[in-house]
Amino acid sequence: MFRILKKSLKTGVVTGRHPPAIQPSEPPAPEVRKKASAFNRSLAIREVDTGSCNACEMEMNALTNPVYDVERFGIHIAASPRHADALVVTGPVTVNMERALKDVYKQTPDPKLVIALGDCAINCGAFKGSYAVTGPVDRHIPVDVRIPGCPPRPADILKALTDIQERP
Amino acid sequence: MAESRSCDEVLKAAFPSIVQKDEVQKEFSHFLVSKDLLPAITRYLHTQPGLHGRLTLLWAVDNRPTRNTYGLHYLFTLEPSHRWMLLSAELAGNDRLFPSITPHIHAAQWYEREIRDMFGLIPQGHPDLRRLVRHEHWPKGTHPLKKDFLWDHVLGRQQGEHHFRRIEGEGVFEVPVGPIHAGIIEPGHFRFSVAGEPIMQLELHHFWTHRGVEKLFEQQTLTAAVPLAERVSGDTTIGHSLAYCQAVESLLHLEVPRRGRYLRSLFLELERLHNHLGDVGAICNDTAYALPHAHCSRMKEQIMQLNDRLTGSRFLRGVTRVGGVAIDLTAAQLAEIVAEMDRIEQDFSELESIIAHNASLIDRLETTGVLTERTAWDHAVVGVVGRASGLDQDLRRDRPFAAYDELPVKVVNYRYGDVRARMRVRMDEIHESMRLVREVRLKIPQGPVAGEPSRVAQTGEWALSAVEGWRGEILYMVTAGENGTIQRCKVRDPSFVNWPAIQWAVIGNIIPDFPLINKSFNLSYAGNDL
Repeated sequence: MFRILKKSLKTGVVTGRHPPAIQPSEPPAPEVRKKASAFNRSLAIREVDTGSCNACEMEMNALTNPVYDVERFGIHIAASPRHADALVVTGPVTVNMERALKDVYKQTPDPKLVIALGDCAINCGAFKGSYAVTGPVDRHIPVDVRIPGCPPRPADILKALTDIQERP
Repeated sequence: MAESRSCDEVLKAAFPSIVQKDEVQKEFSHFLVSKDLLPAITRYLHTQPGLHGRLTLLWAVDNRPTRNTYGLHYLFTLEPSHRWMLLSAELAGNDRLFPSITPHIHAAQWYEREIRDMFGLIPQGHPDLRRLVRHEHWPKGTHPLKKDFLWDHVLGRQQGEHHFRRIEGEGVFEVPVGPIHAGIIEPGHFRFSVAGEPIMQLELHHFWTHRGVEKLFEQQTLTAAVPLAERVSGDTTIGHSLAYCQAVESLLHLEVPRRGRYLRSLFLELERLHNHLGDVGAICNDTAYALPHAHCSRMKEQIMQLNDRLTGSRFLRGVTRVGGVAIDLTAAQLAEIVAEMDRIEQDFSELESIIAHNASLIDRLETTGVLTERTAWDHAVVGVVGRASGLDQDLRRDRPFAAYDELPVKVVNYRYGDVRARMRVRMDEIHESMRLVREVRLKIPQGPVAGEPSRVAQTGEWALSAVEGWRGEILYMVTAGENGTIQRCKVRDPSFVNWPAIQWAVIGNIIPDFPLINKSFNLSYAGNDL
């Protein structure tokens, strides 16, 4: 017990110790903010990987670490699409994941936001044109917000997510 | 060398009809065999005590445009000497059948199914001929790696359903999980058969993230494909790009300057560190022990921010290039890395003692998800998982690449094969990697960091390369095409061989322990599915 306390005291507060967001992402459209206002600054997110290289997943995971601590902004990761307000989709949508993506979209209750995370989700990135890729995401489901980068830094993701929550 | 010669002689004495090719690379022996002899020879290599061959890679090549054949290549690592032995067979003309070696060598099962899906060649005698990469909705007759299949072909869709192996009986239930999971992880499907809580059988249904990487490589040139290699599996950016670059460098007869090789080792260890730190935390988190997870992910974040400061990429993207590395580090930067390592090592050691003193955690980890040495060997398991199950193998020591010939690595080895052993391997490797980083700083020579290619690769020349990434051995086989293009690139992430083994490690464990076991393997879906 003493050891744990000592460790915690020694470490102190690390939240916010990260470089600021640098990638200029477009401010969300007014209708997106309007849609998001229904969630009252509490956003439950379901992450869907449709064939990414897992770097975007690692950065989403990084958002939940003590340094970024996304929960302090009322954003939390839901375990099921049925509990989600927003879908974060990564990857270029592979042939095998196409059905699953559409299913998840259907299972998510309205109103919902779709956030395309990373270059692959926005324009298929390095996998553009392949026989096994049917994307990008907006070919299959309507996309509200796009966060570019390969992969986007957590600070950029955090900024984009908090931007959505601002009142219109 | 004398020992490896004698292995060749032993094989030639046992099978007089095989032909040894001498002109190819010195690092391995290469034999041409007829396809009918394949099962017998591979079985001999695998079981003969003095040879003890581990199936390392199995790949096919479509040579129809030039020679009207398909080539099949079987790469074995002879465990006592760590020497490679390559067997090649050809299927002439319209022959689409080849004998399966799976009945004798279990490790071949996914490779052969993959060849069947990607080339349409049928492994005769394979006990399980269901589709692997192509899900059932892919139309019949689509085999993407055949040369007459267009890379941007638009696939149709057909009706089809995947048939899982079924266990029937009173009280036996099936639990489907995936492809979309509860955490922030990649897609994969797991089908459990349970009686009560213990798992009787687990079957994997993967390849959801199949993006056609190997076909995309064929659309690139040798020097321009590094960004694609970095994106095979995002968390292994350096491992994959390094393995790819090494293969291309041996095609171009390009010598990497010593400073470049040291920097490659340095970046590979940084990648190993941030991934291992994250894994140790995540294993604790899956037992609902959140404190180490918070500390570990904080330390992982420190290393990723360090990466960002050094190279402009948190994942070290754009660092490796053909010929060396793209970024040189100043003495001040090297000192900064070492200072950060010292801080994190102190930090991590304190955390380690907290973890080691938590009896309820250790109780949860011990004897959970045991992968026995025998099962690990039969599946030719590699990397962290293999080293936790008593397989003493590490390419950094066995086939030194980058600067590891001058930086001896102490290989970590545990025998029990449970979750705790896999966590201990990672913890010990964290310390070893930090030691290596310090050693790099002391030994790194001055000089250029990259060489320029002076030669073009001849059409049809090929090269193999292997890198010990943080997960395990990453293999690349690259064949050059005309004008510096790529004719074929076979990629093998360690996940591809370790995934089937997980099906055996979970048997008898309860379903709530599955996430923990899965996390202790921590395999890549993207690298497996390609």
